[in-house]
Amino acid sequence: MTTVDAIRLQTQAAALAAPLPPLLAEAERVAATVLQGVHGRRRTGAGDSFWQFRRYQPGDPASAIDWRQSAKCDPLFVRESEWAAAQSVWLWADPSPSMRWSADPARPSKFHRACLLALAAASLLLRGGERVARLGEAPAPGLGRGVLPRLAAGFLGAAPTPDVLPDSVLPRHGSLLLLSDFLLDLAVVDLAVRRWAGAGVRGHLVQILDPAEESLPYQGRVRFAGLEGEDDLLVPEASSLRDAYGRRMADHQAGLAAIAGAAGWSFCRHHTHLPPTAALTAVYSMLAGQ
Amino acid sequence: MPLSFVSPLILAALAGLPALWWLLRVVPPAPRRIVFPPIRLLGGLASNQRQTAKTPLWLVLMRLVLAALVIVGAAHPLLRARPVVAGGPLLVVVDDGWASARQWPERRALLDDWLREAERQSRPVALLTTAPPADGGPVPSPRLRSPGEAKAAAEAVVPHPWPTDHRAAVKALDAAALPPPLRVLWLADGLDDPALRDFAARLRRLGPVEMAAPPEAAAARLLTLAADDTGELRASIRRPAAALPETVTLRAADTAGRTVAEASTTLAAGRRSAELALPMPAELKARVARLGLAGEASAGAVALVDDRWRRRVVGLVDEIGAGTGASPLLDDLYYAERALAPLAEVRRGHLDELLRRDLSLIILPDQGGLAEQQHRQLEEWVRRGGVLLRLAGPKLARNPDELLPVRLLSGGRLLGGALSWTRPMAMNAMPDDKPFAGLAVPGDIRVSAQVLAEPVIDLNDRTWARLEDGTPLVTGAPRGKGTLVLVHTSIGPAWSNLGLSGLFPAMLERLIRLSRGVPPGEVGKPLAPAELLDGFGRLVPPSGIAEALPPPSPRATPPVPGPRHPPGLYGDDRMAFNLGPAIADLTAAGPLEGVSRVDLTGLERAVDLQPGFFAAALLLLMADMIAVLALAGLLRRRAAVVTLLVLLSLLADHPLAAAAAATDSTQAAVLKTRLAYVVTGDGEIDQTSRAGLAGLSRLIERRTTAVLGEPVGVDPSRDPLMVFPLLYWPVVQRAEPPDAAARERINDFMRHGGMILFDTRDGGEDGPEKLRRLTGELDIPPLAEVTDDHVLSHSFYLLRSLPGRTTGAPVYVQDGGDPSNDNVSPVVIGANDWAAAWAVDERGRPLYAVVPGGDAQREQANRFGVNLVMYALTGSYKADQVHLPAILERLKK
Repeated sequence: MTTVDAIRLQTQAAALAAPLPPLLAEAERVAATVLQGVHGRRRTGAGDSFWQFRRYQPGDPASAIDWRQSAKCDPLFVRESEWAAAQSVWLWADPSPSMRWSADPARPSKFHRACLLALAAASLLLRGGERVARLGEAPAPGLGRGVLPRLAAGFLGAAPTPDVLPDSVLPRHGSLLLLSDFLLDLAVVDLAVRRWAGAGVRGHLVQILDPAEESLPYQGRVRFAGLEGEDDLLVPEASSLRDAYGRRMADHQAGLAAIAGAAGWSFCRHHTHLPPTAALTAVYSMLAGQ
Repeated sequence: MPLSFVSPLILAALAGLPALWWLLRVVPPAPRRIVFPPIRLLGGLASNQRQTAKTPLWLVLMRLVLAALVIVGAAHPLLRARPVVAGGPLLVVVDDGWASARQWPERRALLDDWLREAERQSRPVALLTTAPPADGGPVPSPRLRSPGEAKAAAEAVVPHPWPTDHRAAVKALDAAALPPPLRVLWLADGLDDPALRDFAARLRRLGPVEMAAPPEAAAARLLTLAADDTGELRASIRRPAAALPETVTLRAADTAGRTVAEASTTLAAGRRSAELALPMPAELKARVARLGLAGEASAGAVALVDDRWRRRVVGLVDEIGAGTGASPLLDDLYYAERALAPLAEVRRGHLDELLRRDLSLIILPDQGGLAEQQHRQLEEWVRRGGVLLRLAGPKLARNPDELLPVRLLSGGRLLGGALSWTRPMAMNAMPDDKPFAGLAVPGDIRVSAQVLAEPVIDLNDRTWARLEDGTPLVTGAPRGKGTLVLVHTSIGPAWSNLGLSGLFPAMLERLIRLSRGVPPGEVGKPLAPAELLDGFGRLVPPSGIAEALPPPSPRATPPVPGPRHPPGLYGDDRMAFNLGPAIADLTAAGPLEGVSRVDLTGLERAVDLQPGFFAAALLLLMADMIAVLALAGLLRRRAAVVTLLVLLSLLADHPLAAAAAATDSTQAAVLKTRLAYVVTGDGEIDQTSRAGLAGLSRLIERRTTAVLGEPVGVDPSRDPLMVFPLLYWPVVQRAEPPDAAARERINDFMRHGGMILFDTRDGGEDGPEKLRRLTGELDIPPLAEVTDDHVLSHSFYLLRSLPGRTTGAPVYVQDGGDPSNDNVSPVVIGANDWAAAWAVDERGRPLYAVVPGGDAQREQANRFGVNLVMYALTGSYKADQVHLPAILERLKK
């Protein structure tokens, strides 16, 4: 490898990594606001953090005795730590072209918000000692904070493929967080959810929408165009469609909620003009809310 | 209202409008394209509204109107265009003699219309001016040129201060040999002359002739000074046509152009001329420099007044240099000189010298017997029309001569002496039929000695004033064309106190009025032109080929006004040479055979409608854009309102250019140092200010390292002043004081280093009043006259006087200095009409003559301008130089 090649590789790597630190920092910041109100498993178990002292009982290994505490009074005490069982969570931020859109340049695109929420959730999960992986990624779920940059690079680098749900096979008892606009046929979603639920995977659907997609704020003669190869649609008066569209969107969301409910999964919506913190709280409580 | 089109063929495009209608109707405006990811959800919804989109009817109509406007505009519509009948080249004849100056703007406009029309039709044009050109050559032969060239040539046509010469014009036409047929357009002055009919006939041979001439009421009038025995200024006014009654106002103005007196008369219908006198006190009369007809600016409506008419020159014969000794109060001439000072110009000297000048009255004090030579000279002078006033005294009493109105008894009569029983005697009232009639005699006049006339039959007739006992005190008698007058006593205190009374100046005034002025006896030198009238009756420095006038003499025929001798002032004594007397016959041209005639006034100018059409189309285009945006749903309501408001404001406040210009002027002023003048609203004054500052800026660029931009006119209530170093403010009579806001800005300007030059432009006559009215509310600091050691006299040139067009009026600046302003005076106040002195035309020739005149004064005025700008730009920087002697003195110690 010549020096020139090395330099070019470095430059490309730097360009690729450029959005990562801000995104990571943002995700960490959002996660920090959520972590304060959330606690551990609240039960004794294998873990690093102190949970409680209890009387020594026969059968406890002698090495478990906390001699410093036992020296303070008569009985012997055993130091117990909080249970920190590692769970594996797979995350997916929909990389399709329709996600990379925002009706107002002042608002972030849906994809950006999805990545942000996914990374923030990953950050929280990693702090809680869980294992985290990106759906469709080859390596097994990782542990520790070193995973985060890899995850971020994976999310951002995902190819903008059209709307399809991945069909990765997941182990039983894994958790799955799907962040997407879910502007798909409900049948497709239903099929995928059934398949995962049948395999014993717990899942959570987060629908991320631009407010314009909810309210259809256009008027006048408009030619609508899609982002994923749909045909253009000429509308003589866009504002006249608003009510009908609103009803359809509500139906669609109700369908999604029904699919999730049937599989025992959870479902929530998030709009990009709202702050990400609220969505993260909802996501986290969904993940932690067994 | 005739509407015509320059390119009517373009109108055929209007036939295409129906096609446009169809096209516009079918092709609706393009929809807005919006990317919308949930398009699948919209899928079924739009189908129920699927219909053929059509352009709304009103939009189609608006676009059709727009297209029609563009088409009609492109056809170049003209309203009231004067149809220049098609066919052949044009010959445009312009009478540019003195009589054209009246209504010149109308003539100019009509000429422009003709040439523009010719340009539109691309017809060659030949231009013929009928007055001899200023370069002294013959009337130039017309030749056919392109309309553009002819237009440029026509720009240079101005009325000349001499008559037209139609005979020469005929010759020029003959020489030109223009190929008939032509269309002849003739801008005539409406005056008849012997060659006019020949000229018209010659024109007719070239083609149909159309003549535009002024209506009778607007024909040029002619002013001539008339001789008058009573000493009043009199003028005769002539007009070419007499059909209508007309009121004319005669105005006398002084050298600075201020009106001194005014009189009106009505020329009744049927009267072609009138004489009008301007009664005024002698002091005012002495200032009159010109008479003019109000409302008419032409060389013919101006009569210049020179010394012969205006100021009588009185000679005091002083052979021995009397009165310069130890006791001037005993000298007769001292009293005569004092009495004459306000009335006339006094020359004092030897008789030989005096007789070389143009005198009207000679006062000969008591002196021993006249020498033979003097006697002969004086008698000859009196016979030619002079008035000789002799004063009695002991020498005359001893030795009477023949040059007296009466024969004197030898010796005198002493009243109230030690050996006399009588007392000094008072005077009787003045006889009614004599020149002093009506003069009030003060009761305290006492005559203690007199010379006595020999009682002869006609003594009574010759006695003009008597003592109370009836003996003559003043006698007078005609001799030749002139008059001999003798005061039988002395003016000095030796024999009477007559010279101390107010009666004496009054008597002298009567005598001066009696005199008519006698030209110098010998034939003088030729008189070089000093200042000449231009076609509009303005005095300008001599140019062109003006030659010296032959000295006036009774035998020679007077010169004819023309390019070689334009009317004006000639010679060192500024002898007036007027147009009026040279024009014997002033009659209106009657109808000319074969010439169609239109009246010059009342012609309405052609209105070019093309810009209007295009502007309307542009507005509609904007409206169309807004409508399209609205239809596409791109227009927010607030944006629409704002856009509408902007458009409406554009329409309502049409002079967009004004606002733009104001911004431009500020911007320009900031980008370059430039002088500014306050716009007074009086077009001529503003133009002078502009030309003056432009001339000064150019001068400064030439002589110093400062580079100034073109000057700009400002309105203190509107324009920002702080960007100008110097503001020239001509004070006009009816100037309104600035309002409160403007006042604040001006004060602010002065407080923060600005400088204003107030110029009352009147030589200091009634300036204080109007200046006070204008600046009463401004923060003018205490003032002091500019002295030799003021910075203003040193800042570039060393100056002793600060003249402008006039000179002599003091110039004021701030008394002392304001340290916060670097001791620079915020105002300079004067009355010398500087801008007029600095004003030059585009070729750098001065526009106005300076008074009293000469290159030296103009140079001084220019230098003052340079100093002033340097003062404004560099402040008191040069003040150090003022203190240089003191500094050197200190260094020596």
